[in-house]
Amino acid sequence: MGTARSGDRGRLRICSIRVRILGALILLAVLAPRLSAAGIKLPPLKIQTLQLPNGLRAVMVNRGEAPVITLEVWYHVGSRNEVPGKTGMAHFLEHLMFDGTKTLGRHFSDYIVRVGGIDNAYTTTDATVYWETMPASNLPVALWLEADRMRNLDISQATLDNERSVVEEERRRRYGNPPYGTVIPTLYEHAFTVSPYRHLPIGSVDDVTRATVSEIQDFYNTYYVPNNATIVIAGNFSVDEAEKYIRKYFAAIPAGPLPAARPIPLEPPQTAERTVTMTRDVALPAFVEAYHIPADGTADSYPLRLASRILSGGDSGMIYHQLVYEKQLALEAQSSADFSEDPNLFFVFAVMNSGHTLAEGEAAVDALLKRLQEKPLAAKELQKARDQVLFDLASDREKSKDLAEQLGYDTVVLNNPELINTEAERFLAVTGEEVQAAARKYFAPRNRTLLEVHPRENGPVTTALSEGGR
Amino acid sequence: MFRVLALLWIGLAGLPLPGRELPPNVPPPEAVSFHMPAVQQLPNGLRVVLVERHDAQIVRLYAIVQIGAEADPPGLPGTATMVAGLLPEGASHRSAYQIAQAVDQAGGSIDTGAGWDQSYANVSVLSNHAALAFDLLADLLVRPAFAPDEVERIRRQTLSALDVVDRDPSYVADMVMRRLLFAGTDYAHSEDGTRSSVERITRKDLVDFHERYYVPSRTILAVVGDITAPECLRLASRFLGGWKNGPALAPEPRSQPSAPRGRQVIVVNKPDAVQTEIRVANLGVARSSPDYFALAIANQVLGGPAANRLFDDLRTRHGLVYGASTNLDCYASLGAWVAKTSTRSSETIKATEMVLAQIARMRDAPVQRWELKNARDYLVGNEALQFESASQVANQVLEMMLYHLPHDYWNRFPQQVRSLTADDVLATTRKYLNPEDDVIVLVGNAAAFKDGLKKLGPVRVVPIADVGRAFPEPEKGTADRPSPAK
Repeated sequence: MGTARSGDRGRLRICSIRVRILGALILLAVLAPRLSAAGIKLPPLKIQTLQLPNGLRAVMVNRGEAPVITLEVWYHVGSRNEVPGKTGMAHFLEHLMFDGTKTLGRHFSDYIVRVGGIDNAYTTTDATVYWETMPASNLPVALWLEADRMRNLDISQATLDNERSVVEEERRRRYGNPPYGTVIPTLYEHAFTVSPYRHLPIGSVDDVTRATVSEIQDFYNTYYVPNNATIVIAGNFSVDEAEKYIRKYFAAIPAGPLPAARPIPLEPPQTAERTVTMTRDVALPAFVEAYHIPADGTADSYPLRLASRILSGGDSGMIYHQLVYEKQLALEAQSSADFSEDPNLFFVFAVMNSGHTLAEGEAAVDALLKRLQEKPLAAKELQKARDQVLFDLASDREKSKDLAEQLGYDTVVLNNPELINTEAERFLAVTGEEVQAAARKYFAPRNRTLLEVHPRENGPVTTALSEGGR
Repeated sequence: MFRVLALLWIGLAGLPLPGRELPPNVPPPEAVSFHMPAVQQLPNGLRVVLVERHDAQIVRLYAIVQIGAEADPPGLPGTATMVAGLLPEGASHRSAYQIAQAVDQAGGSIDTGAGWDQSYANVSVLSNHAALAFDLLADLLVRPAFAPDEVERIRRQTLSALDVVDRDPSYVADMVMRRLLFAGTDYAHSEDGTRSSVERITRKDLVDFHERYYVPSRTILAVVGDITAPECLRLASRFLGGWKNGPALAPEPRSQPSAPRGRQVIVVNKPDAVQTEIRVANLGVARSSPDYFALAIANQVLGGPAANRLFDDLRTRHGLVYGASTNLDCYASLGAWVAKTSTRSSETIKATEMVLAQIARMRDAPVQRWELKNARDYLVGNEALQFESASQVANQVLEMMLYHLPHDYWNRFPQQVRSLTADDVLATTRKYLNPEDDVIVLVGNAAAFKDGLKKLGPVRVVPIADVGRAFPEPEKGTADRPSPAK
């Protein structure tokens, strides 16, 4: 969610309207799961880890032929750590991290750009991530810069006011103007009642408006400390050299007193279906069915990931095939599991074709979920889902940025840097019965929030919630 | 006075604060040495390039056919896109579902589409399914069925999709800009087509387009990943060697934009928009133009990736926008240089004027020394990032072949860029950035900014629902497309 800058130079770039429509709905980065499957075995990666006395962790993989690396600094703080009335703080701070330090002024990116590198950042529910992809020779410079902004950030009233306006433009751009832009924020607000996942990382307008320099400075002082940070480096570089510079630039930064594990409210089990009905200026009706699912890395997360592939992996996936291809009810239909540190949501969504009703789409999805729950899974279907996950895992090794993302997530959110080498086994062990059992356990009406978007025609824009079924 | 101060401030902005600890000095990155992979040509003219890399167990096929939406038949925009969209929807001996099943079963994916100057079909699989990938690619390129049911299904899908994007301010802004900027050329329509054209395209139009243009002599196949050269060539020959060329086509006339028409300002009114999409466009250059290098530097300074004048002014200094950028869109015979941003409705005029002022500044004075250095260093250093993965290498090779760039293009690129002075950049910029002949498109809630509009020049305001009527599909710029030489 960081700084939006222009696209790549000289690429063959083609924009398809299908991608555009999906982009409006899929706002949440779903990190690809990984595994190994029949016929192909991914060679293990040599993952080297380091921990300094001040608590800073580093995870490094030397890999690749091109002289390019990605450096990421993960702070284990996201919108999950925010409290009501102070939402949007982690993301707001992410913006301010580009606005200068007491040491260097506002020149962070200059030192990346001048060697042809690119840098940016994003904030999720669970973490705030700063990254640079650049020629490998620039690693010492980037480590210096990251160490500098870990302790010397200069937050002024002027930069705060400016970034507040920028964040509001970001909100309008993501959620205000796109045709289905309000769907995801509204869904999360109603699917959760107490979990901080109720609000998206961008936070509420009011909270962002009220945030003061001292509050943000406190947030920075609390969470941007070495004992809450993880450095990830992937690409073609010397691990020994990297270690030397990590020690040189980060060892002197004092650890901070992290807040004593503040209890983050966990969502109580949902007991009845919720239905949210919106009218918006859209051409076609759409709906999202969201089901609560457990945290990432839990035993049930593996069969649920495979279930998502079976429902929605490729054009032969059940949902696309039935709704878009066979019955032609929908323009687009998919499922997606948004796994994260705390329990989150699995959703199925569809944008209906002209002439088809939401009720038809919802009935078709329900029938498919029922089939998954009741009809034994063909071995071929399970194998297909596994191979798709394996493909994604192999893909993640092609570029340093993708690999760094995976390593960072495994280390920070799942606390297991070696997961990339071991998770395959967990997927391979999942049986068809376990996929079905998970589908039965989670895809139940009382665990569901249904959000419907109706075209406004000429009427007003509205949002209404009802509890207890359709 | 303000202007002088502003320039001074910007001049200083390149330097860190004095007397403080600085990041370490490191040697500049080494120039990338690019080795053009060997191009194998099958007897039918299909060119095959392999970028072999065994670090991921994946094989990817990237095929481009050297034809795109510029070849849409007169009055039928969307044809090239619809042809490409139908490629995976059934072949002579596999149904759409069988194709989807096959590629999904191999862990992979299929992606097809049409842009400008090219259509593409990509197939990716786990590497133990490489033969299947070539077989499926042949289904897509050589023997798509265009079954009537599938044509109707894709037509309905496209119509629904157009209904959705016709209310998307960003999409509408790009579409209107293209219509005006490229008026009179083969690049002025929407590659997705319009409701009316998509309704009119017949199965025969699609089959004809495919027969005429999807031929091996127009196609380049880049094969990437975990496969050896002999195996690659064997599979290409086996599955694509029998692909036949049709009758040779007469060379097509190159589209050229018409003479200057004066500034055009269009406001597309969408009363419920909370942000205005802003585009300021000038004509640019063809990809192979010798002016490309100077414009790449100018573009980098004005609105290129990373730090640039638009971003610094509109976002960093004034907080008006989330993103601001300029793009050089370069095609075979022409191009565009487009500034893009979006801002809250009330600040529309202010933001647009700031974009125009930055464009004027690019014309009025040479770029600063530090800006020139940063831009050159970025462009040269960024080459390494463009060649990081095997897929990126393949896409660079395809671009070079598509636009007939010399094989040592990337090895000469650093020297080309470094040899240009600020005066060279200024002279080239003045050739292309022209405030008297630009296109300004604003899509947003016109009531919120109508008072300031006259500052921009004569304005035409169009309700978003009337965009299709206000900007009907252009007649083709070049009179008649030549028919196949018999």
